[in-house]
Amino acid sequence: MNTNGNTYTIVYSTIIVVLVAAILAFASSALKPMQDANIKAETISQMLDAAGIQAKDTPTTNEQILDKYAETVTEAFVIDLDGKKIKDLSIDRKNLELQDDLKAQNTNIKNGKDALLPVYKFNNGTTVIPVYGAGLWGPVWGYVALNDDLLTIAGAYFDHASETPGLGAKIKDDPEFRKKFQGEKLNLTRLENPFDIAKGAPVGNLDDNQVDAITGATMTSKGLDAAIDTWIRAYAAYLNKVEE
Amino acid sequence: MDAKIKETLLNPIFKGNPITVLVLGICSSLAVTVELKGALVMSLSVIIVTGLANLILSTLRNTIPNRVRIIVQLVVVALLVILVDEVLKAFAYPVEKQLSVYIGLIITNCIVMGRIEAFALGNKPFASLLDGLANGAGYGLILVIVAFFRELLGSGTLLGMRIIPESFYEAGYMNNGLVILPPMALILIGCIIWVQRSIQKDLQEK
Repeated sequence: MNTNGNTYTIVYSTIIVVLVAAILAFASSALKPMQDANIKAETISQMLDAAGIQAKDTPTTNEQILDKYAETVTEAFVIDLDGKKIKDLSIDRKNLELQDDLKAQNTNIKNGKDALLPVYKFNNGTTVIPVYGAGLWGPVWGYVALNDDLLTIAGAYFDHASETPGLGAKIKDDPEFRKKFQGEKLNLTRLENPFDIAKGAPVGNLDDNQVDAITGATMTSKGLDAAIDTWIRAYAAYLNKVEE
Repeated sequence: MDAKIKETLLNPIFKGNPITVLVLGICSSLAVTVELKGALVMSLSVIIVTGLANLILSTLRNTIPNRVRIIVQLVVVALLVILVDEVLKAFAYPVEKQLSVYIGLIITNCIVMGRIEAFALGNKPFASLLDGLANGAGYGLILVIVAFFRELLGSGTLLGMRIIPESFYEAGYMNNGLVILPPMALILIGCIIWVQRSIQKDLQEK
């Protein structure tokens, strides 16, 4: 057979591509439940780390993480931009619900409508809320745990899709950076910038609502700062209401 | 025949090692050798991809239209790499999270395409499978050697377990920060090539 003819080449390429696409589609849908379970456990373990309940690098299985969460979470619900509760999230161990479509909600916040903002309360008095934004190469996100005054940060965990290892990736990899957030306060009277990741601020001269940025990772630090500001602003109505 | 199989299997491990002799796949060997665990997973992934890619393309070799040869190879390699990535995501999520960027880059790993072009398209499927597996293993061997030294000297650990005792640190020993950075991987590979060339005299240029 002439394997160099035009018809043969086109038909052959078409068959190969369709075949490959079919295999990938099948593999993707077959593995999806397991991948989703992993992602859910990962999300929960990040919240538990932020809330100071269980460090992220504790070796555990997915099931143990879900157990721990079901044990320690007291309340989980979704609010809108006015701080009004829209619906409860199930905290039943058999059916744990999360509102973790942060990317979609980030768009909603920017459009100023329809945002579904999750609030998770834990039995150690912390309230965990997510943040999401754009880093240098891809999205950055994380979970900020607040003390019961809803102003003081109890802990934070950040993650990223593809920041530079050793520089931007430090928001996740450097425990020292995350530790700096503990004890800092949100400034809800200054809503355009309720929290600051400051670049070049003189050492020892940082406010209560500032932490030092990461050297060599200006864009990631800025992106994370913007993510925190945007999301705290979205939660401001809720955070203020509790204070009154 | 037996001797030929042995040759196919053993040659890429030492005498014709893809990294140290053919100098293929250098880029990824700099990136994933900071920790032994990452290197092991990467090696395993590359072994699977090179082996299966060689097998599949060798089976198809008489049907592939010559003009779109490279594209067909790329499609098959990309398919395998994405499958490896998806399987890791389902069964070894933490490792996948750490390695996902590099797993994707297996597609561009010169060893895979190099072996398909040089071997699989001209040999029977079984021999090609062996050649792919052996070349993956040769690559993995170098990766593991480099990662062993980098993790030991750079972090004082192996597979995440502390090897260098705390008392050394108290006595003033410090981890070598340079070993963590990619240039040191290049220097280590250079040292391995040096050792190999002094053992295997026929590699030396006149």
